[in-house]
Amino acid sequence: MRILIVEDEPDLLASLAQALREEGYAVDTADNGDDGLFNAEGTDYDAIILDVMLPGLDGWEILKRLRKTKKTPVLMLTARDQTRDRVKGLDTGADDYVIKPFDLEEIFARLRAIIRRSANKTTNVIEIGDVKIDTAARNVFFKDKVVEITAREYALVEFLALHRGEVVTRTQLYEHLFDENESSLSNLLDVHVSNVRKKLGAEFIATRRGHGYCIE
Amino acid sequence: MKVFNSIKWRLQIWYGLILVVVLAGLGITAIKFEQERQMTWLMTNLEQRFAAVAGVLHPHPPERPSPGQTPDDLPPPQNLRPDQFHLPQQFSNLFDSNDPHNFYFIVFRNGEIFAQSTNAQVYIHSGEKPQHYPRMFDIARPLPSGEFVTVGCSTEPEFQELKSMAWKLGITCIAILIFGLIVGGWLVSRALRPVENISAAAVKISAGDLSQRINVAEAESELGQLAAVLNSTFARLESAFAQQKQFASDAAHELRTPVSVILTQTQTVLNRERDAASYKQTVEACQRAAQRMRKLIESLLALARFDAGQEVLKRQRFDFSRTIADCAELVKPLAAERSVKILFELEPMEIIGDSERLAQAVTNLLTNAVQYNVPDGEVRVKLQASGGLAVLTVADTGQGIAAADLSRVFERFYRGDQSRTGAGNAGLGLAICKVIVEAHGGTIEVSSQENAGTIFTVRLPT
Repeated sequence: MRILIVEDEPDLLASLAQALREEGYAVDTADNGDDGLFNAEGTDYDAIILDVMLPGLDGWEILKRLRKTKKTPVLMLTARDQTRDRVKGLDTGADDYVIKPFDLEEIFARLRAIIRRSANKTTNVIEIGDVKIDTAARNVFFKDKVVEITAREYALVEFLALHRGEVVTRTQLYEHLFDENESSLSNLLDVHVSNVRKKLGAEFIATRRGHGYCIE
Repeated sequence: MKVFNSIKWRLQIWYGLILVVVLAGLGITAIKFEQERQMTWLMTNLEQRFAAVAGVLHPHPPERPSPGQTPDDLPPPQNLRPDQFHLPQQFSNLFDSNDPHNFYFIVFRNGEIFAQSTNAQVYIHSGEKPQHYPRMFDIARPLPSGEFVTVGCSTEPEFQELKSMAWKLGITCIAILIFGLIVGGWLVSRALRPVENISAAAVKISAGDLSQRINVAEAESELGQLAAVLNSTFARLESAFAQQKQFASDAAHELRTPVSVILTQTQTVLNRERDAASYKQTVEACQRAAQRMRKLIESLLALARFDAGQEVLKRQRFDFSRTIADCAELVKPLAAERSVKILFELEPMEIIGDSERLAQAVTNLLTNAVQYNVPDGEVRVKLQASGGLAVLTVADTGQGIAAADLSRVFERFYRGDQSRTGAGNAGLGLAICKVIVEAHGGTIEVSSQENAGTIFTVRLPT
């Protein structure tokens, strides 16, 4: 999953990005409104964490403009706690609204919720044949036994599982699994796919030659 | 007594009393006039009868028999005998006892009754006094021929007339009084209704609903002004309260961001084992946040103290130019960082005040001037005496402030760019300057041109 964080307070941005990366997300950052909007429009993020008070365009503006073209789930982050601000945020198109200061665990859970909702999934647990994926605990089970899996591999599995039935192109995978800070080596993806097949069965991920991968 | 506290009742009572007095006066006057009229009528009648009687005794010379009078009815007056005295025909009905007035006459000659009318007996008292004197009126005069004539009448009919008139008047007056009181009461109620509206609105306001206003359209012109003044006062009250609430809420708000930094930084770093360098980074970030909070708290407390009037300002004589120079030293590093030049034109000037607080204000102004400036920009600081005041101007070559925002720069928590959380600027610097300057009896103004610069002018009494 690839997340964009738009937040102008540098210390906050840095540690939030770090925390999310350690959770297994690919994270892009922006510290002002204009860059934030540019990034959000240019890339298909799985979720955006958006601060309201930003230099340049403020969070409301970014959300309004973004919603013209994209349905990316947005979690608004702000110090403004008035009911009308919450209502405004949700009505403008935010999927959730979190007040600072916040608990990291809560952000993680809400993030998972909005991603899950946008993939039209209602539970945390996805079952595909012998494989069970607990998106809350970020665990994968094969035949009810926990599987040792790296963060990047988990991200791959989760993404394909949430888009079950769809063919996901390599480009999409690159976009959603790696952030702008990483150089994408094209065979890195193959390595991850191959590792997953070794752990969860060769048929788990199907290859569509010339198109991409999918989980059926 | 509660009744006497009510304006309505007091007005009613006064009005009632006045009405009573006026009506009584009118009534008494009416009766008096009637009495006079009666008197005049009586007098005329009595004079007429007197003349008649006197005419018998003392006819006007020259004596000439008038037609209808037999010549031998007129003996010379001095020789008239009592039994010869009788009134001529045409006067016979003047002393008719059927007339309720009971006109009578009595003629005395030499102290003794010489002649009288038939109904005069009642009026002659001899011996014991009668039970009650009948109401009567008479005229009694001597005649040139020596007789003493009394002509009188009973005033009983007049009295009864007056009595009946008095009753009728009395009842009418009471009816008018009652009617007047009712109408007056209604008028007073109507007149006082705007006052009731005003006091009703005031009660609601003091109970806490500051959005109430008096409906001015209802209030008549004299009260309309009062209502307008009250409305504007209520508006000011409401806005003052709103500002207070806003201040408290904004203050809490400002603390959210540094706290959230600390929380996220510490939670992240504690998520797993880290190396010393990571912990150090986190701790430094927490320190930065804590410093921000400390500055914020200091600013808030200062403003709160000034607001509550608890701030005790020192009153010392000191050289303001020295203070400004000291502040400039503090700001030098920041200016160097942003390659901004600070130029001074300071006249040595002594003022009385709190040098520490004023230094705080000056530092705020200088810091702003440097921060909101362009690279290689300038800050011109000028101190001069003008019209008995110390005038300090701080001019920068920065991006300027939009005209729409100019009136708001001194507002608490107002930041030019609403997001400058990173710079640790909570938007209180200018609010504090204003409070300090005004506590010294001075004024602070700002003028600006977008993309050219901003000038702050502080005037302090010397």
